[in-house]
Amino acid sequence: MIGPGTGPHTLQRIWSELFERPWAPWALVFVLCAAALAPFDLSRVTGWLAGGEGLPATVNHWLGVLALSFVLVANVWVITRVRFELQVLITWIELLLLFLLFFYSFQLSYEYIFSRLHFLLGIGLRNGFLMGAALTLFICFAAMIASTILALAAALGRLSPNGLMFGVSTFYTSFFRGTPLLLQILLVYLGLPQIGIVLTPIPSAVIALSLCYGAYSAEIFRAGILAVPHGQREAARALGLRESLIMWLIVLPQALRLIIPPLGNQFIAMLKDSSLVSVLGAWELMYMARTHGRAEFKYMEMLIAAALIYWGMSAVFELVQSRIERKFGKGVTS
Amino acid sequence: MMRHTMLTGIALMACALSPWGALQAGEVLDRVTSKGVLVMSTDPEYPPQSSLDENNEFVGFDIDVGRQIADRLGVEIEFVTPSWDVITAGRWAGRWDISVGSMTPTAARREVLDFPAIYYYTPASLVVQADNTSIATPADASGKTLGVGVATTYENYLKKDLVIDAEGAPPFEYRIDDANIQTYDTDLLALDDLRLGDGVRLDGAVTALPTAMDAIEQGYPLKIVGDPLFLEPLAVAIDKGDPEFAAKLADIVDAMHEDGTLSELSTKWYGADLTEPATQ
Repeated sequence: MIGPGTGPHTLQRIWSELFERPWAPWALVFVLCAAALAPFDLSRVTGWLAGGEGLPATVNHWLGVLALSFVLVANVWVITRVRFELQVLITWIELLLLFLLFFYSFQLSYEYIFSRLHFLLGIGLRNGFLMGAALTLFICFAAMIASTILALAAALGRLSPNGLMFGVSTFYTSFFRGTPLLLQILLVYLGLPQIGIVLTPIPSAVIALSLCYGAYSAEIFRAGILAVPHGQREAARALGLRESLIMWLIVLPQALRLIIPPLGNQFIAMLKDSSLVSVLGAWELMYMARTHGRAEFKYMEMLIAAALIYWGMSAVFELVQSRIERKFGKGVTS
Repeated sequence: MMRHTMLTGIALMACALSPWGALQAGEVLDRVTSKGVLVMSTDPEYPPQSSLDENNEFVGFDIDVGRQIADRLGVEIEFVTPSWDVITAGRWAGRWDISVGSMTPTAARREVLDFPAIYYYTPASLVVQADNTSIATPADASGKTLGVGVATTYENYLKKDLVIDAEGAPPFEYRIDDANIQTYDTDLLALDDLRLGDGVRLDGAVTALPTAMDAIEQGYPLKIVGDPLFLEPLAVAIDKGDPEFAAKLADIVDAMHEDGTLSELSTKWYGADLTEPATQ
């Protein structure tokens, strides 16, 4: 509502006085920030920031709110002033610190984490085989290779004019994309013995993961192959190349550039989905975290440690993926 | 030539398929004695029955009982760790020979497993918040909201369809009527909900007495109401269909009852002798 004596002209003047100065948006952000922080219990921060012993609690609280808002706004202000790389670096470091602060607030027993960390990482052997993160990586690498072969075969079948190949391929992708991975793992482990094939947990895990991810990746391969312009095949045919050689030498290398980013995504997802095989009692990372967590009611400790290990492994995967992407993207992407 | 190899392949497959089906009598016992190894399944997420210590080794009451059984069979022991559902589903396909996993022999489980011997008994108890005043006896919990682990004997008890299928299982009566049953993935989650406060989500929970006492020791503000509701016999389980192995195990566990080995282990892990139904 506009009161008497405040015409549009006056309003405009007030607006420009208040908000068209360089500091104005920052002040607004500061006020919003303080308003957002106000309802929270900041006693741990204020006690540490102001150290105000004699001040009443409310004054202390508001001092804390203002100080924290100032720090936040100043921080964003600083970040906007620097160049892109530095912005990214500062943001990452700050978010990481906040994350660690969040974990710190659980008051975890770090001693317990360190006493059992080497089991999670899988340093050493159990019954002469890998365990923990090392076993997770082993299962993933094996499943990566097998699922890539399966995916290529299924994609070629799907693109084949042969009805039998097309039928087998579509049936396979339909079933393994259409059922939960956990169920597939149990089917391989419990179902196959019914027809005389008794597998131990780790091969069962690799088979189930390969079948499931092979079905998903088949679609990625198919899309990649279809995206290669038809003229490429025609040109190759004009040169007199055999069909199989055309696929191998002309189409696939060009398709790979498009296949690799989503395929890398699949592998990262697989790294984490491999935790499902803990139901079979394979001693991979998630299993180790759960059992060691239960042993002395230190569940959170072990879960957080496992989360950080999974994250670290995924980060390495991402790095490798971007390297490969760069190699196959030569001459196309910058 | 092609045809020939195909036929051979089919014949080989048929050979591989044929022996699979029901176990032969004495098959498991033969395998154990010839290999010199007893493979026992265990779920190390349940202290004090079974857990992993700081050296990544198995420890617990069930583990010690399993070691004793292997000792008396004159073989080594090995542990495998499939999940509980996989163990209770039966059809172990020779992956492991025995489960010493505090399993209650129910009629449903007896369809896929054999229970040669009972090695101890766990009392099932009603627990409430420490400051609760309205539930002084189990009967007071009638019509209240009670938490239990899903597919446990405690859930069966509250539903009044508990059939313990074991010789010498002490009789019991249903003392809680028309409870509003809340089921959880594990018993511990029910206790976690109960600790939030009296009547916040639950008025009480039914679980094993050792579990409840363990939680109270860990600082859960709970208390145990009255006498145990019923006594659960807990048995050694094997895959169905090997009476010779079953008989051998029954003899061994009998001997362990008689010479006090089980009582000693029970006192070591539970602080009480839980091996006799009469002691409760």
